[in-house]
Amino acid sequence: MALFRFLIDVIREMFRGSRRYWGWIFLLAVLFTQGLFSYTHQMQTGLVVTGMSDQVSWGFYISNFAFFVGIAAAAVLLVVPAYIFHRKDIKHVVLLGEGMAVAAVVVALMFVLTDLGRPERIWHVIPYLGRMNFPDSILAWDTIVLSGYFLLNLAIMFYVLFLHYRDREPESRLYVVFVVIGMFWAISIHTVTAFMFSSNPSRAMWHTSLLGPRFISSAFASGPALIIITLGVIHSATRYQISKTAIHTLALIMTIALQISLFFVGVEMFTDFYNEGQHGASMRYLFLGLEGLGKLRPWIWSALIMNLIAVTILMIHPLRRNMKWLNTACVLTFVGIWIEKGMGLVVPGFIPTTLGEVFEYSPTSTELSIAVGIWAFGMLVFTLLAKTVIAVELGELKYKKPIWQ
Amino acid sequence: MSNTKKKKARSVDRETGISRRTFVKGIGAIGSVTAAAATTASAASWGGKTMQDAFGDFFQDHYKKMTPEEIEQALARIERNGNRKTGVDIKCENTPPIPGVVFGYAINISKCKGYRDCVYACVEENNLGRDSQMQYIRVLEMEQGTRNMEKADHYYDPETVPQEGKYYMPVQCMQCENPPCVKACPVEATWKEPDGIVVIDYNWCIGCRMCMSACPYWARHFNWTEPELPTEVVNPATHYLGNRPRMRGVTEKCHFCIQRTRKGRLPACAEACPNGARIFGNLLDPNSEIRYVLENKDVFRLKEELGTEPKMWYFSD
Amino acid sequence: MPAHIVRLLVLLAAFLILALFAYVPAGFAQARQEVTEPGIIVNPTAVEFSIFPRKPELTYYPCTQCHQFLAPNPEVRKLFSPHPSTLDHGDQRIWCLTCHKINDRDYLTNLLGENVDFDNAPEVCASCHMQRHNDWMFGGHGKRAANWQGERVIYSCPHCHDPHNPLIEARAPKPPPPVRKGLERPENVRETYLSVWESLEKRDHE
Repeated sequence: MALFRFLIDVIREMFRGSRRYWGWIFLLAVLFTQGLFSYTHQMQTGLVVTGMSDQVSWGFYISNFAFFVGIAAAAVLLVVPAYIFHRKDIKHVVLLGEGMAVAAVVVALMFVLTDLGRPERIWHVIPYLGRMNFPDSILAWDTIVLSGYFLLNLAIMFYVLFLHYRDREPESRLYVVFVVIGMFWAISIHTVTAFMFSSNPSRAMWHTSLLGPRFISSAFASGPALIIITLGVIHSATRYQISKTAIHTLALIMTIALQISLFFVGVEMFTDFYNEGQHGASMRYLFLGLEGLGKLRPWIWSALIMNLIAVTILMIHPLRRNMKWLNTACVLTFVGIWIEKGMGLVVPGFIPTTLGEVFEYSPTSTELSIAVGIWAFGMLVFTLLAKTVIAVELGELKYKKPIWQ
Repeated sequence: MSNTKKKKARSVDRETGISRRTFVKGIGAIGSVTAAAATTASAASWGGKTMQDAFGDFFQDHYKKMTPEEIEQALARIERNGNRKTGVDIKCENTPPIPGVVFGYAINISKCKGYRDCVYACVEENNLGRDSQMQYIRVLEMEQGTRNMEKADHYYDPETVPQEGKYYMPVQCMQCENPPCVKACPVEATWKEPDGIVVIDYNWCIGCRMCMSACPYWARHFNWTEPELPTEVVNPATHYLGNRPRMRGVTEKCHFCIQRTRKGRLPACAEACPNGARIFGNLLDPNSEIRYVLENKDVFRLKEELGTEPKMWYFSD
Repeated sequence: MPAHIVRLLVLLAAFLILALFAYVPAGFAQARQEVTEPGIIVNPTAVEFSIFPRKPELTYYPCTQCHQFLAPNPEVRKLFSPHPSTLDHGDQRIWCLTCHKINDRDYLTNLLGENVDFDNAPEVCASCHMQRHNDWMFGGHGKRAANWQGERVIYSCPHCHDPHNPLIEARAPKPPPPVRKGLERPENVRETYLSVWESLEKRDHE
């Protein structure tokens, strides 16, 4: 009974808001709809509307997928301090972090779906109904861990919210078990995604044991960047106040993660360029160009410069404590890592091809339109979840026992 | 207490007097009439297929789990669909592998002159999309003195071949014994058959292209668009796992002309090469040509260090 | 020893010695005999095969149409039409009558001077190109018609190599591969590949 009321109240809350709120929802809905139109076009014509080819068979969609799985994994950075170190200030925002994880996983899964050649056949990956190539296929593992992570986070989030709605705190030890599982699961989703790339010895740029650590470190830099910006928006746009200490902890984690991430990039550059052989061809294409082609050069260099500026800002304590400087660093980190981990990793893995051909890739307007639609959808999911969380946490949404009980 | 003793009255709607059972029956009747109408309705509503064929195609099970009857039905659907799309009477078979046979292939790179006759023979034999410009075989023009493929030219187009200072190396699916693409596929749409051919079930592939990332030989190709097959170029003798008409959004590759080789014929590329640079046969037959080549010539395989165990060798003599 | 016994022994020895000289290995005789006739070649180690008939492809066969009226002339000289007037084979070491039987123009001839049917031309080629002939018999060279299994029919040497001009001519290749529909091939800037000695020479010259 209470659960039923809870769901009704949650849905009602999503439809309640100021004009600014509705304006934001409307904007996201428009962006999502234009993406949907582009996707119908892609469904009707085929993936030929993208810029991908047999030579570069994964492009913008999978780049975004890899990046957003990282964002989803970074939610664990809030869960650990909140539940293991019992930081009350972070406990205050952990539900928002989990909401971001859910939204990020939804975005990642949507990017995979739009990348499929025959999305209506996705049921083939379900065990017993279809035929899942487990445990051989890393993509099968990825399907399991991502769906599991989505359900886990959604379940934990709604469990806590439901209890808060009823003015209670989670007490069951079982709940802690699930939280701990969730922490390890977060690391695993991004490691499995990294394995999806590093398991291919045919692609020299990806076939490195460093790829897993690179993914985790860049996720732990870009995730908090997004969380800090989002929490800032929530702090100013709603009545939910975020404590500065929570932000500072996240900023510190982000700094260290960004330092490690840049260190890894430097290590890769040394390994591939010192005694340069054929293994370094993809890195050469990315940073210096190959056979006169180098569309990604301006992107990767600006990403590197952005990250270096960001890490410099973050390493200076007074600047990191200043919200304006911090937000700038967050934007630079987020965009820089999005470029470096997305297009800067997925696309050069295919250039040159395994037969030595240098063939370039650039996303088409259809791809960009669909990506914008998916981002908008993710932001919509997060907005609706955050609205619920804020309402419950501020005590605006409370379970009222019906008169006859 | 007294309620349970009374006979439970049928829930009858007070206004219309229709009982729930009658209501459900009525819905069912209307539903089945609609379904029947839809089946006979214009075929265009299911992308050209009949509703039965569209549903049959969608719910088709994995090749390895289908019963023989289901496979027969699938073959019939492919024939009907192919007939409708190309106007040619396509025959789709499911010839099983010949026991005691594992196929091997050897290419003599001192004989290959880079004509590309093999490339186009394959296109004709295997119903490759003409508009989508799919080609399973790629001939590399290599620099004499090096095996570095980064120095190779894929798009050579001189007046005559062979060009001086170059040699030619055709590359296609190596039908690896340890195929990384089979491992990578999340739905097992591709697997290795007992006769060594790595096949794809085009009705099962979801188009994720994980296999294309995994393949070290650039052997797998994707249908970015609907493959166009003009009526006059259709090859009607097809195999379910081979050259039957494919659809967009799925991956395909060389399958050693499974429709020919399982009946004892040479693959189209081997037959097309005018210089006899291609040698094909049964690796398990000690008297075969391929065994003679492997035992007496200095053969090598591409990217052997990756451990894929390809079944296509190269040699020069 | 009495004289008549000695005579008997000498006669017996002579008879045995003559018998020894007259002995011919059965296989050898059989192989020699089959060279003159077209048909299944049986080599004890190779897989049984037949040669794709060559005679239907020959324009002027049977040669005796004209040569029954012409006197055989063994002088090495340049011939006129309809014969190919040049022989770009063997760098002047052989000429027409090295392979064509002078007395029986419907046959080729081998180094032993025996008749070799036109459909068995590989026997003639084998006289000099034994290594290639071996490869061809076992399938490492040449081409098999149509099937990898079952009846083995392989093409004769002249089917691909014109004996009067055996070098395979350069010809135009078929068109280069396209790129995906909707995309353009990029303008790759490719450096000319230099071998190690070429790059050393270039460096020395600069």
